[in-house]
Amino acid sequence: MARELIHAIVDGILTGGVYALMAVGLTLIFGVLDIINIAQGVLVILGAYLSYSLSTRAHIDLFTGLLITIPVMFIIGVVIHWAFIRRLRGTERTSMTLLVTYAVALIIEGVLYKVYGADDVQLQASYTTSSVHIFGFYLPWIFIYGFIVAVCLVVALYLLLYRTRLGRSVRATMQDENAARLVGIEVNRVAALTFGIGVAVTAVGGMFFGATNAFNPNSGYDLISRLLAIIILGGLGSIGGALAASVFMLTLESVVTIWQPTWAIAVFYAALVLVLLIRPTGFLGRKAVRAQ
Amino acid sequence: MSEAALALDGVVAGYGGGDVLRGVTFEVPANQITCVVGPNGAGKSTLMKAISGLLKPRLGTVTLNGEKLIGKSPRQILKLGVVQVPQNHSLFKDMTVRENIDLGGYILSDRAQVAKRIDAVFDLFPQVRDWAGQRAGELSGGQQRLVEFARALMLDPALILLDEPSMGLSPLVLRSVLDAARQMNANGATILLVEQNARAGLKLSHRGVVMENGVVRLTGTGTEVLNHPEIGELYLGGAVKNGAQPG
Ligand SMILES: Nc1ncnc2c1ncn2[C@@H]1O[C@H](COP(=O)(O)OP(=O)(O)OP(=O)(O)O)[C@@H](O)[C@H]1O
Ligand SMILES: [Mg+2]
Repeated sequence: MARELIHAIVDGILTGGVYALMAVGLTLIFGVLDIINIAQGVLVILGAYLSYSLSTRAHIDLFTGLLITIPVMFIIGVVIHWAFIRRLRGTERTSMTLLVTYAVALIIEGVLYKVYGADDVQLQASYTTSSVHIFGFYLPWIFIYGFIVAVCLVVALYLLLYRTRLGRSVRATMQDENAARLVGIEVNRVAALTFGIGVAVTAVGGMFFGATNAFNPNSGYDLISRLLAIIILGGLGSIGGALAASVFMLTLESVVTIWQPTWAIAVFYAALVLVLLIRPTGFLGRKAVRAQ
Repeated sequence: MSEAALALDGVVAGYGGGDVLRGVTFEVPANQITCVVGPNGAGKSTLMKAISGLLKPRLGTVTLNGEKLIGKSPRQILKLGVVQVPQNHSLFKDMTVRENIDLGGYILSDRAQVAKRIDAVFDLFPQVRDWAGQRAGELSGGQQRLVEFARALMLDPALILLDEPSMGLSPLVLRSVLDAARQMNANGATILLVEQNARAGLKLSHRGVVMENGVVRLTGTGTEVLNHPEIGELYLGGAVKNGAQPG
């Protein structure tokens, strides 16, 4: 029993690392642009299909393929921002962007159906099926590799945000857009780059998701609801909160699965409701998510 | 009267609804303090935004030493030496005071120059140096204002736009904030000041501009405006008519 529990916790933490990466992308986009990118889930699936094409057509290893899919997803993000988000202004902006990003999700889903069909596929590699035996557990290599890559990227994102000039301009824009403009930050450029970065990380999430789950073009909706729950729990716009909430939620889900697999997803959302009842701003959220 | 640094001519601007500024015309002389007063909603802040580039006027011209500002981005206007301290507190509250000051030099690419400017600004505002490591959001309202002033000086601007810098401050702190404005002017900057406390603002200023309902109602020297009978009654509560003011 205890062994099973520990195993579940380790599983949850490893998966949580990858979810953290996707959630950080979503929360960054929210923090800077004040929008919820509903398309984030479908973009993860798009990332998974890109990995799928690279591995089945060009026989490129899944991890090597990230060197291609990450920049490609970055460009897709910048293009989505340029084409759909940039123009939205005014008081209805936040609710408009919900609709617009939902439309983007539908468009991408439609394209995926057209190109790949509706059948489930899964990413295959030697390490998606083989496991390593440590401390008496069998852990699939993909979980360990995925976790390591996710942690490296989260650290890289952190360094980008807290140690570079670009990062400083991103944080400044998150805290007070007008003040940022008044010190000469070009907030539209910052927004486009942030959107690109937030989408680029879905390449990694997609690869990991696709290697551990069967997926089809419709799989993005379950993902986006989980990611939304995570960033709300973490406190909208809070990067540290997104990390903590990812690991917490996925571990919880994994532990509950031991007893009642069917309850796992319900507990996931019940935990969200419970935490918000006690602390309406989430783990690390402040009273106002951002300055007005 | 010295040469005009900034000239506005027939500026019309708004937020998409109706026009808020309905043809604003006046000049801001170089190396002086010009104070804009007027009732709430007159369009004073809108005017400041129209100059700094946050808001694009629909009609009219704004020129800085002859160069047109309208159509330029806030960044381009900043590069020409115009910096705005807005009405609402504008520090990045989760960053330290030092990071905030540093961001005042965001458009400078030369790090050595930024470091030099930070030292110069700390010399002008020694208290700010003491707060350098604190999170900006932890400072009091008056302290935040001084940090905003310090940040505005990072680019050694030619023209500083101060929008109600004393808002929400106690009379004592108000004095120190206005003293800081005076000091910035003494160091060579031209200042356009919006001040809710019209009496204190006008006494400090060389020129006064009275705005009402999106147009300029009256201009003159600070004392002229302060002593104008009608204006005294309208905006200064009447008490100023005889001109004699304590403190
Ligand atoms: N962002 C905005 N969007 C729409 N209308 C605005 C906006 N900001 C100001 N207004 C409107 O423009 C008018 C002038 O506002 P402005 O802030 O320029 O006045 P003000 O003279 O600075 O007043 P106060 O002394 O209260 O600061 C007001 O009627 C206000 O409601
Ligand atoms: Mg105002």
